[in-house]
Amino acid sequence: MASGHYWVKSVDSTREAASKMSALSKLADIDRRVFYWILFIALMVPFLNPIGFPITIAPNTQDLYDGITGDQVDEGEVWIINFGYGVSAWSECHPAVTVCTKALFREGAKIIFIGPHYDVELTYNKLQDTCREDFATKEYGVDYVFLGYFTGGESVVAQLASDIASVFPQDHFGTPIGDIPMMDGVEDVHDIDGVLSSDTGDYGGHFMTQWQGPYGTKLAEVGIAMNGSTDLPRWQAGNFFGVSVGSRGGAELELLIGELGEATTAMDSISVSHLLLVLAIIIGNLGTITEKLGGKE
Amino acid sequence: MSNVLKQEAVYAVTGIVTILMLVEYFFFADTQIWAETIRTWAVIIYNISLGLGAARLLISHSARVSKKGRDWQFSGLLLGLFAIMLLTGFAGYIMTGVQTNNGIYNWMFNYIYTPLGATLYPITGFYIFSAAYRAFRARNIDAALMLIAGCFVMLKNAPVGEAIWIGFATIGNWFQFTGQVPGMRTFAIVGALGLIAYGFRALLGKERGFYAGGGE
Amino acid sequence: MAYPTATLDVIGLWVGWFLMLMIYSYPLYKENVAYRAAEHMFIGVTLAITIITNFSNVMRMCITPLTQGNILMIVPLVLGLLMFTMLIPEYRWLSRYPVALLVGAGFGLGIRGTIKPNLQDAIIDTITAPTGGAMIDWFNYLYVAVGLICSIMYFMLTFEHSGPLKAPTRIGRLFIMVGLGAYFGNTVLFRFTMLTGRAQYFLQVLKLIPM
Repeated sequence: MASGHYWVKSVDSTREAASKMSALSKLADIDRRVFYWILFIALMVPFLNPIGFPITIAPNTQDLYDGITGDQVDEGEVWIINFGYGVSAWSECHPAVTVCTKALFREGAKIIFIGPHYDVELTYNKLQDTCREDFATKEYGVDYVFLGYFTGGESVVAQLASDIASVFPQDHFGTPIGDIPMMDGVEDVHDIDGVLSSDTGDYGGHFMTQWQGPYGTKLAEVGIAMNGSTDLPRWQAGNFFGVSVGSRGGAELELLIGELGEATTAMDSISVSHLLLVLAIIIGNLGTITEKLGGKE
Repeated sequence: MSNVLKQEAVYAVTGIVTILMLVEYFFFADTQIWAETIRTWAVIIYNISLGLGAARLLISHSARVSKKGRDWQFSGLLLGLFAIMLLTGFAGYIMTGVQTNNGIYNWMFNYIYTPLGATLYPITGFYIFSAAYRAFRARNIDAALMLIAGCFVMLKNAPVGEAIWIGFATIGNWFQFTGQVPGMRTFAIVGALGLIAYGFRALLGKERGFYAGGGE
Repeated sequence: MAYPTATLDVIGLWVGWFLMLMIYSYPLYKENVAYRAAEHMFIGVTLAITIITNFSNVMRMCITPLTQGNILMIVPLVLGLLMFTMLIPEYRWLSRYPVALLVGAGFGLGIRGTIKPNLQDAIIDTITAPTGGAMIDWFNYLYVAVGLICSIMYFMLTFEHSGPLKAPTRIGRLFIMVGLGAYFGNTVLFRFTMLTGRAQYFLQVLKLIPM
């Protein structure tokens, strides 16, 4: 009989749904620490067995690289690199900053290094290590200077635009700014040709509102991926000439300059962890999807 | 009189400083020395005020140690390390002008502060992973759109996405360069309008939440 | 950076490694004494670094110019010290003055700085049509334009989202969710990259991979 057949079919589909649900609920009951261990181990495996997925270049990264190389940078131009990141974000920001430093040095630009984090000196030391060959050809005080730590939010960035010496009367090592050869004639925003801000916070935004907006200073963001979401519309609007989005941006820049480094090495680990996360989202939502489809039947 | 000093004069300072910053920008081509002075003062005050949080923490942990409160041993450890770091740092600063020139300070900075700082912030990565499995549910169209956009951007950011299927990168790029723009640009525009409105309210003395004691 | 050879540096590397494990004992095992000790150690050293770093900054920007004859620098010094009256209830009102200056400068700079990049440039970019673009360019242009208008309408909280406002605000909310989803995707990259750095450090100290 048709109705009896329908009753049997509905019992079967109910049993099937129940077994699926119990499997899913078993999965849901797994201690979260198991997931943490899976993630921690999964992050380490690609370092021991590299995979090497190919990387394509995003247009924002290409624009950034084009903006710091070739015709866009003249010899003797003065640029600021803002270490707006601490040690915890080295893996995210430092590879991109390394490439930008190398690129600017090779174009003959002079660089002022500053930073609003307490460990800015550590970051500067690490940069000297990752750009060892380029720093070896440059002279401190003539080709680059490390002015050191600053803080004060938007006020200090605005004041830097007015008078650099009022924020940095001396460099990090105590040398009065007037005694530093490359700072001769470099007094305010009009003497700076470009700013690269690498941020975990919003100093890039402060440079945008206090430097790029009123004075049209060339500005690019070389920061964390989280800032990428807010900074990509700014790049599209022309406020930034380029944006590097986190470690992925760093890997793309390494590819562009032809010197693969830490970001490229980390990409395999990133791939594994992201794949695991997407799988976790899909598996976690299987129950919801099954319920909705079961309801429609 | 005391009410004027405690309230009206304070709001007047806020209003005057705000107006001076705006006047400098909209009425003068070059930066003005009086505005530069105010900004320098603001930066110095900002630097000094960062010690306030440190002072509060030191007071609370010292009280915990003296009264042998909860976890007082850890507070003692905190204060001990603080004292060593402070004394060695000041010794380095006074003798050479740079605090990291002191060997002990430098060692603790490199091998205690740095690894701890570098380790504490990424801990949220673990929680994102467990949340992805347990909490991120596409219960309605809003959540589903959010998760779909998130997954495609993740697979675009990770090179493996493109290796599995080129479409992940193509669609992920669309979400990154077009899909998210209305939302993110809205936050920027609405944030800017809110800042302007809020700033004018502070200028007129209507916003009093910043001041200790609120509107008293 | 090569694996260090100096004894103190090697000891320091291993101290850092153990401190990392002490912190990660919390998510990987459970809340315990080691985690709490490491947490308090971090707060202790951070407090000291905060005080010293900002002290040297104040010396550089304020005290040194003051001793060199810039008498006006006494003003921010006094105002800055007045901030600490926040700790004394009967004199707390004095701390309102330095806060007033900070708030005034912050708002003044914020208002004047935000108009061009966050309003003018953003709106111009949104309304600028693609020049001779393909269909997809026109689709993207309309998507952003319509999405921006609807999303901004969603934030018009002084009007009830009903009647003629119901549909556009609902659509705006969907556009915002897409934006937040992409933001979440980028946040994941940020957090996992930091975690990757720690995993790399774990292996480097054990000399399983080169430093």
